[in-house]
Amino acid sequence: MKWAIIHIPEKPQISITEPPSVDVFAAVIEPKLANTLVRRLNKICPLENLTHVKRVRRSSLEGGKIQLSVVLCLSHGEVEQLESIQSDILELVHAYQLSPFIAKVAKYAASSNEEWKEQCKLWPTSYHPPTYNIDGITGFSEEDSQTIFNFMKLALKLTKSGPQLENAAVIVDPSVRQIISSASDQTHSWHSLIDTTSMETGCIKQPAVFTCSQPDANAAAVRDTLLSDGVSDENKRSYTGVSCLYPRKWMEHQQNTGNTCYFHPLRHAALVAVELAAARDKHLFPGSGNMLDCSFQENRLTSSMNSPAKKQKLNLSKDEDDLDLKACSHDSCFETERPYLCTGFDIYLVWEPCAMCAMALVHQRIRRIFFAFPNPNFGALGSVQRLQGERSLNHHYAVFRVLLPEDVFDNVHS
Amino acid sequence: MALCEEENNSDSTLAFMKLAIEQANDALNNLEVPIGCVFVLDGKVISSGRNRTTETRNATRHAEMEAIDELLKNWQDNGLSAMEISGKFFKCDLYVTCEPCIMCASALAILGIRSVFYGCGNDRFGGCGSILSLHSSQGKGFECTGGIMASEAVSLLRRFYEQGNANAPKPHRPLQISK
Ligand SMILES: [Zn+2]
Ligand SMILES: [Zn+2]
Repeated sequence: MKWAIIHIPEKPQISITEPPSVDVFAAVIEPKLANTLVRRLNKICPLENLTHVKRVRRSSLEGGKIQLSVVLCLSHGEVEQLESIQSDILELVHAYQLSPFIAKVAKYAASSNEEWKEQCKLWPTSYHPPTYNIDGITGFSEEDSQTIFNFMKLALKLTKSGPQLENAAVIVDPSVRQIISSASDQTHSWHSLIDTTSMETGCIKQPAVFTCSQPDANAAAVRDTLLSDGVSDENKRSYTGVSCLYPRKWMEHQQNTGNTCYFHPLRHAALVAVELAAARDKHLFPGSGNMLDCSFQENRLTSSMNSPAKKQKLNLSKDEDDLDLKACSHDSCFETERPYLCTGFDIYLVWEPCAMCAMALVHQRIRRIFFAFPNPNFGALGSVQRLQGERSLNHHYAVFRVLLPEDVFDNVHS
Repeated sequence: MALCEEENNSDSTLAFMKLAIEQANDALNNLEVPIGCVFVLDGKVISSGRNRTTETRNATRHAEMEAIDELLKNWQDNGLSAMEISGKFFKCDLYVTCEPCIMCASALAILGIRSVFYGCGNDRFGGCGSILSLHSSQGKGFECTGGIMASEAVSLLRRFYEQGNANAPKPHRPLQISK
């Protein structure tokens, strides 16, 4: 298996091989009549709830001959009797000596390319790929894919920090390919006095900020079943330390003597990464009423952003969410370009997050989530719940699974 | 989810909810979304919290999360083990002015608390029946009772949004009383 990225859509794939369908009356027509008939049919019997269904089907017969069929109207009920057809359509049927037959068409517009191909086997439909403006849903460039794989490798490296495997999270600003924050699970190592100015003190594991490196070529030995299901091999490390997979394991926490840290059942990697991102934001862009040395702030800003000049401009967005930015701009010129929470940022997680973490990422307005392994126990992005499909939420992120080569775990840990 | 008629609420239920509303008021006075909560064990308030998302710029700092942090710290400072803390949560009730969101409801299920009493429903984010039902679907569930002093909870939220707080661009909680 090679690296790959799969989009996890908002609704589960409905049985692709047997798409829900409805019955219609259709008839084979003379190609030269197609224009006239389609125009009249669209007028007297538009396919109102089936706008994705094409009125005309072209099929090639043996010998290369083309045959055209047209959808006349919905077939109401079970009766295949012509009497059920409305009278003006019946007139057409008689006038052009058509022989209506029942055909099946897909009931819903396709939401993916695969779904579309399958439903076209019934009767052709049109397909409009999603019009989200989130990059990647319709595919990634080679360069973007490589960046994504590299950030995922960083997350994989972080899973190893304790005696057990843990979940890990890396929040990234993709516009400048910069790491905003990163963390592994801290359910056993909470420093309760989180001070935003001394994030690296205490027992908080604050991993070094990595730069995005090229994929390393040194391949190591394969331990291919490390992450497969039903692991029993004692040599393999257990996943029970992955908090999103086993959120109730905290009760078995044993206090190590001499350990001054607290444990905290809710400090899953994603929540910690969000907290660190928020702390970083406060540090870089101190809030309103905070009269700080502007030149210092400017330096920080310049070093962390690509084009500070451009970023001085007040970004009047249509989105109400940016009210926050505008409000802050009165207090400090640097506040104008502060992203609202994690708007525009991506997060890389080794395991699919639980509902708590997935909802935290909604609250913090993460743009895209990439995870490597599904979480059959408590995964909230497709496995158990599917938060990206909850329309009532005020923010929606796009979700991707990154498929890893089997030996990657060894590579990043070697 | 059970619905509480005001007149059926016991005095203590209302008293605890009043304390949660006080917390929400404190949030309002600090330009935060006015939601507050208290945790109750053996008839005593053992911690309280209110929304702190604006101050922290961390949209996960809901009232429940604040109060939970306080509890975990206090109990560990008193030398309680994880097992003992789990036993405490098992006997804890939460009084919160608005239905816990999906994140907080999951957190409460992870901790394994006994029951939740809330004021108004949350039909955008609610994790106790409004959008998802994490109190009955994930791990150890908990009892949930809504509609306690809901109008007070709602009027606080209304006041907050009417005063046009620019730091909270959108209602994070709905202004609707749970049914
Ligand atoms: Zn989690
Ligand atoms: Zn919440």
